[in-house]
Amino acid sequence: MSYHLLALLLIPLVGSGLLFALKGKSAKHLAFGISLIQMLVTFCILYGFDAKPTVDSVLQHEINYPWSQFLKSSLHFGIDGMSMLLLLLTNVLVPLIIYSSFNETVNYRNSFYALILLMQFGLVGVFTALDGLLFYIFWEVTLIPIWLIAGLWGQENKRFHFTTKFFVYTFVGSLFMLGAFVYIYNYAPSFAVTDMYNSGLNLTQQTIVFWFIFFAFAVKLPVFPFHTWQPDTYTYSPTQGTMLLSGIMLKMAVYGLLRYLLPITPDAIAGISGSIVLMLAIIGVLHGALIALIQNDIKRIFAYSSFSHVGLIVAGIFASALLVMNGKFTIEGGEGALVQAFAHGFNVVGLFYCADILYKRFKTRDIRQMGGLAKVAPKFAVLFLIVVLGSVGLPLTNGFIGEFILIKSIFDFNVLAAIISGVTIILAAAYLFRSYGKTMFTEGDDRILASAKDLSNVEFTVMASIAGIVILFGVFPQPVIELVSSSLKFIYQSMVS
Amino acid sequence: MSVLVIIFLTAVIALFTGVFNQGKMARYVGIAGLLLALYVSYLPELQFFSQYRNMFEFGANTALFTKISIVTTLLIFFMGGFAFSNHRSHQSELYALMLFALCGSIVLFGYQNLVTLFLGIEILSIPLYVLAGANKTDLRSNEASLKYFLMGAFATGFLLFGITLIYGTSGTFDLYKVQAYVNKFPGDLMLVLGVILMIAAISFKVALAPFHMWSPDVYQGSPSLITTFMMSVVKISGFYAFFRLMTIAFIGVYDEWFNIIGVFVIITLFLANAMGLAQTNAKRMLAYSSVSHAGYIALIFFGINNLSTYNLAFYLFAYALSTIGVMMTLIWVEKLKRETSFNAFKGLAKKEPLLATVGAISMLSMAGIPLTAGFMAKFALFSQAMNGAAFLVLVAILGSAISIAYYLRLIIAMFFFKESSFKTSEKVTLTYNILAVFVIVAIVALGVFPDLFAMQFASLR
Repeated sequence: MSYHLLALLLIPLVGSGLLFALKGKSAKHLAFGISLIQMLVTFCILYGFDAKPTVDSVLQHEINYPWSQFLKSSLHFGIDGMSMLLLLLTNVLVPLIIYSSFNETVNYRNSFYALILLMQFGLVGVFTALDGLLFYIFWEVTLIPIWLIAGLWGQENKRFHFTTKFFVYTFVGSLFMLGAFVYIYNYAPSFAVTDMYNSGLNLTQQTIVFWFIFFAFAVKLPVFPFHTWQPDTYTYSPTQGTMLLSGIMLKMAVYGLLRYLLPITPDAIAGISGSIVLMLAIIGVLHGALIALIQNDIKRIFAYSSFSHVGLIVAGIFASALLVMNGKFTIEGGEGALVQAFAHGFNVVGLFYCADILYKRFKTRDIRQMGGLAKVAPKFAVLFLIVVLGSVGLPLTNGFIGEFILIKSIFDFNVLAAIISGVTIILAAAYLFRSYGKTMFTEGDDRILASAKDLSNVEFTVMASIAGIVILFGVFPQPVIELVSSSLKFIYQSMVS
Repeated sequence: MSVLVIIFLTAVIALFTGVFNQGKMARYVGIAGLLLALYVSYLPELQFFSQYRNMFEFGANTALFTKISIVTTLLIFFMGGFAFSNHRSHQSELYALMLFALCGSIVLFGYQNLVTLFLGIEILSIPLYVLAGANKTDLRSNEASLKYFLMGAFATGFLLFGITLIYGTSGTFDLYKVQAYVNKFPGDLMLVLGVILMIAAISFKVALAPFHMWSPDVYQGSPSLITTFMMSVVKISGFYAFFRLMTIAFIGVYDEWFNIIGVFVIITLFLANAMGLAQTNAKRMLAYSSVSHAGYIALIFFGINNLSTYNLAFYLFAYALSTIGVMMTLIWVEKLKRETSFNAFKGLAKKEPLLATVGAISMLSMAGIPLTAGFMAKFALFSQAMNGAAFLVLVAILGSAISIAYYLRLIIAMFFFKESSFKTSEKVTLTYNILAVFVIVAIVALGVFPDLFAMQFASLR
């Protein structure tokens, strides 16, 4: 029984309840305070954390209670290295995201912040649950708040269409995952993850289960061709919603792939399914990058860039999985994926925040109508550049090391695939620098530039923290790798054993 | 057994209170009687006898379903004060007839003889034919009443045909003797024909496609409170009667009938959900959603195990709670706007946040979103049916996927509009608010701690 983890789960939930219940003007401060406490608790856990133990051995901060006499499922939570990394990402980003909204006038502010905290509750649950049913429940719990955030505060004229599309798309995916989990439940002794790993399904069953579960993750990530909800949702959601979606929520699927899909269906991955997914992911990498090149809406460019980067993460995970199943044990793909997921979380939040800052200055998202902001906003120009460089994957930024390991692991599996995915780094540089150049350097509208200001205090704090993290983990990536390696070893080991 | 007597007497008393005060007393009498009946249902020593001349038995399962249907009726009665506030007179009949129908339900929960089954269905249905037409000046209500009566009479005919054939082959009406006969001669063609006819008749009562044609019209035309009663209590009794019949009497010829129900499930889930998607009227949409739920519930006939009865009860109760929650919202809107199109719900969250929330949570529960009772119920049902009919579970999953779209439309209408379309200053009554909070708490509590249900209602061995 760990009070730390219990606190981690309860703080956002109670905070969200408080915010719904209370009235008043200081909702943002309360929400920010709660998320700061949550961050501190996370750091406390990290401080005494030993990265070695994994799900099969003694876990740290374990909570395990029986739940229902009718369900072979228990309230089982615990933290291993992988969970720790994603908890860190979540609980550091949420305060930043809340803080980033401090300058804005939000309608129904209490509900807005309450929903963000509710979402945080769901995310913490997803990353710590060690029980299939619990994982599914938290997975769905995250959907309702983000849907409401997107719908209530999203772009006025579009929101009925895109929110419905988003909700139905992801809900259908999740339902298929539920179907697969129920199917496994019929064979496995219980919903505990280790029991699910050893459910003893044959190849045909595994293949069906694989595609059902993969569908859920593929929608959330998204992987080509299930990405059509993503650009609209990212573009029309409010900035904070987009940050939550792209920064944290899609990491749920990365985590799900590693924690559930790989160990449950190793034979299916070794069969044709794994290769198909690898192919889809690489198509997505290229597809996203090419579309991003010709977009003019800045949020759309970043949305497609996120889509492209995520494809690389998936490709890396599956490349290593396929290698492991072919007898060559490696965890590089997983390491790269998690390092990149961690980095991508901060970078993409930074990018979307920059898009928001630009939108506030120019009142448009079209990059052709922007320009020349670097002259009047030098601080912004520098910080934006750092975030862009991080996304491109320049050495000494946090994007580099992840991408490097990912491409290396894909290279080990298949040279051609590695070449295609390597091209994307070039393409990423092309589309990101294109948008950076157009917005910051070209001739701009003088009237807008005359009244445009440099970063406000809030904006500067958020951007500077993100830029700091980009450089910090670019120079010292090793702690992240060490944190996750033993849990990844366990995951990939369970595929073959 | 004493529960049945209490409810019957309450109904009679309620009927007589119509003499005073335009019959408004009937509601309080009904609530008092139901509370007493609920209390008595927890006391096994007050049951007098658990078995009446091989016609009726009052076992643990009967008690379980009796309790959930009494609780559901109670909630509906609490809503009644607001829902029937337009009815100047004749209120006492409405409550008394609902109580009579509830008596029919309880007979259905404990029947042990095919004659009692027939009686139960009739006692349940005949008050409903009247209740469906309770809005005497409304043409649609009259239509609903007549349609329900004519179609119901047909279904009863089929039921009697089926019972006759079974009596003809087995020579008995007793459920357990039929069971023994079926186990002995499972290949008897005449008997199988009887089984099929009875399936058709009861499918009609629970609105399982393709016998659902009456239900959208009747549900839409009836006064909304009666619709709630039909969607919840009638569904509970119809399905448990169905379940008893198939699993006690006809389990020996399972191979003969499970395919029929399987086909019904597939038709129901696709048809009802697709039709629900096409509706522009919230009440009619909920009618189709109710039909689609019959499809999910019918999954109970697959992979039957010793927890099936419990799963069925849990699903039915979760569904009844959700129905009450969403109908509360609908009744309030209908009252103010005199219509129930999706547009009528615009901006409800702005005007009445609690009411909009209870509607939204109920619909999320119907769709099976986690942390609601509906999810736990659906999960239990799916995991049971997966063991034997994985394909049907896939169909049910696709059905849920379609259904979320139309539930969302209503939630979006309630929440995503900045300006409220409600011009009145009329506030929701206190009872109504308390009820809304109760429904929200109950749905979420059952979704988080599904064992609460067993603690409250089931005395599992």
